[in-house]
Amino acid sequence: MSILFHRHFNKVTCVFICGLSFSSIQAADGLRIGLSGTVIAGGSTEGDAHLGDIQSGGHDPSRNGFSIPNIELSLSGAVDAYFDAQANVVLQINADGETVLELEEAFMVSRALPAGLQLKAGQYYTEFGRQNAMHPHTWAFVDQPVIASRLLGADGLRSQGARLSWLAPTPWYSEVYGGIQNASGETTASFIGVGSGHAHGSDESEGEAAFAEYPLVDRSINGAEDFLYSARWLNGFDHSDTISSNIGISALFGPNNTGQESATQIYGLDLYLKWQPENSQKGFPFVAWHTEVMRRSYEAGDDSNEEHQTLTDSGFFSYVQWGFKPNWILGVRYELASGSEVRHDEHAGEHEDEEPDPLRDSRQRISTNLTYLPTEFSKIRLQYNNDTADHLDGAAHSIWLQFEYSIGAHKAHSF
Amino acid sequence: MKKTFIVLSLVLGMAIPNIVFASLKIVTTTQDLAAIAKAIGGDYVNVKSLTPGTRDPHYAEAKPSMIRKVFRADLLLLIGAEMEVGWLPAVLRSSRNINVQLGSKGHLDLSKHVQLLGIPDAPVDRSMGDVHSEGNPHYWLDPQNGLKIAKAVSEKLAALDKEYALYYKNNFTKFEKTLTRKIVEWQESLSYLNGKQVVAYHTSLLYLANAFGFTIIKEVEPKPGISPSASHLSGLVSLIKQQNIKWLIMEPYYEKRSADFLNRKTGIKKVVIPQSVGARDKIKNYFDLFDAIVTAFNEAK
Repeated sequence: MSILFHRHFNKVTCVFICGLSFSSIQAADGLRIGLSGTVIAGGSTEGDAHLGDIQSGGHDPSRNGFSIPNIELSLSGAVDAYFDAQANVVLQINADGETVLELEEAFMVSRALPAGLQLKAGQYYTEFGRQNAMHPHTWAFVDQPVIASRLLGADGLRSQGARLSWLAPTPWYSEVYGGIQNASGETTASFIGVGSGHAHGSDESEGEAAFAEYPLVDRSINGAEDFLYSARWLNGFDHSDTISSNIGISALFGPNNTGQESATQIYGLDLYLKWQPENSQKGFPFVAWHTEVMRRSYEAGDDSNEEHQTLTDSGFFSYVQWGFKPNWILGVRYELASGSEVRHDEHAGEHEDEEPDPLRDSRQRISTNLTYLPTEFSKIRLQYNNDTADHLDGAAHSIWLQFEYSIGAHKAHSF
Repeated sequence: MKKTFIVLSLVLGMAIPNIVFASLKIVTTTQDLAAIAKAIGGDYVNVKSLTPGTRDPHYAEAKPSMIRKVFRADLLLLIGAEMEVGWLPAVLRSSRNINVQLGSKGHLDLSKHVQLLGIPDAPVDRSMGDVHSEGNPHYWLDPQNGLKIAKAVSEKLAALDKEYALYYKNNFTKFEKTLTRKIVEWQESLSYLNGKQVVAYHTSLLYLANAFGFTIIKEVEPKPGISPSASHLSGLVSLIKQQNIKWLIMEPYYEKRSADFLNRKTGIKKVVIPQSVGARDKIKNYFDLFDAIVTAFNEAK
């Protein structure tokens, strides 16, 4: 059991919980406790009032100056012979300087189902693509990709539900996921979401909640069609001793609240390729390439609504990380996103020359960063973003310096 | 479960390697353990290592292909003592194979079968670098520990696969005989190291020093896992000169610049120690490993 555990933590637990001499204390068997934190300093040519339009991720830097976008407490362990469980509680200080508490994830996973099956239930990140389920401390950039913020929401798509996955008996790694989750909540932006994507109430000034001018209505949950369904097929390959890749396709189907019948579909393709030479020190050097393409069709309004139409949004991000020497990583990312125009009929006179919607307009972002990892438990990152979008007058430039730390249980080295 | 698996595979028309029917499937975290398992299990086992001997297993990543291998395993052999702490728990959680989980009969942590060195006598925290609170996990570099690993593996195989228990026992006896003979040869060949002082890059070669009677007086890394600073290196220069230290030992995957710098300043010889089976193409088994280590020393003599 103690493989998973550090004496360090026995001590901490002891000081806080029991206050006895640590040599005589064993912490609860196998409970792993970890805390990771981020502080970001920097600024953008966009003022605080509009910064949320370009840094629209819930764990992006939220204002000019200092941000504390993610302090994450993670608890996990085996429940018994049949289940593992994990909870991630996130604290952050939002753009208004208020401390926000969120239950990011809290779920159980089966250990012992037969035939390669695994069940997960609780509050969890929907397995859509690769990026969505990644916790902020594992991101390659200080901010979330634009298209992910737009389609999957500021905080990533996560909700309460259950999913079954099947590890197929193929000669390569192949896993199929199918899930059902509540479609309503703060973190289901493209479905029955609260607000149009900005989490933590940073954008309440716009008044009534709406999606692309369609007011959001109270939608009742009447049956199976009112839930969010997800599907994913992930494949992993070792091409050689030095090159491995993951390729996945994902889909989401669910209701949205611009009507009582309206529905949303999102599709995605994700690719991840990593090269690491045979002799590598601490995992360096390496080159990793991660790309995701996503598309959403959003049925706005019910059939009976005169302005009923389907709005499509699509985009992609693609980045390369080059770990050029031990502890140093150079990253470059390119992103595009755009949404179809909202079509108005003759009653739409009041919509004259409307402002472009920062969450749907045409946008390009180029980012580059340099990361230094003093050890695998700390990280210093400097990033530059160059943004151009319909809602911006010219290019917006942002520079962010991020410091990240992790204490307690050893974080997983995920591929 | 195995039956369902086979039926499903047939239904899907997937090619199943014929070994699935015949032998015990062993997955190891390193190639050293794989080599020993193969020596004991012989024809009745199918062995796969999750990491290659060319890399430091501590920094491996939980790759999907590992999940698939562990999913199919009957027996998992691991180094333990926090060596695989960054990735094995994640792989095990995703593997959905109850037979190899912690506490199951198909889970063998070899660190429990050897005497670990370097156990800190006071509580540790991460400000001290990569100090493993359970002790130094590089124990396979003492051939006497190789014998203990082989014994634990042969007992485990005999327990899991009773039909061939005698076969495994005989293989162990053969392994023991060869290893005991070779240990004497290796020790004779490296007898000039006895009582000498060396500098090591990382704290990972403690067991090798113990096995061949030399002492590591200082590491190139100021703290385990921390890259050397200029001032630490200049301190090493004076120490090497003062104590007249002849050898700097290091694994192939560490940066060579610091060693080359020390070599220029003091004439200390860099000995690149292939630390694992598979670290070089020619190192196919546990005996090859020490043959190669002995050669590495002798070439720098």
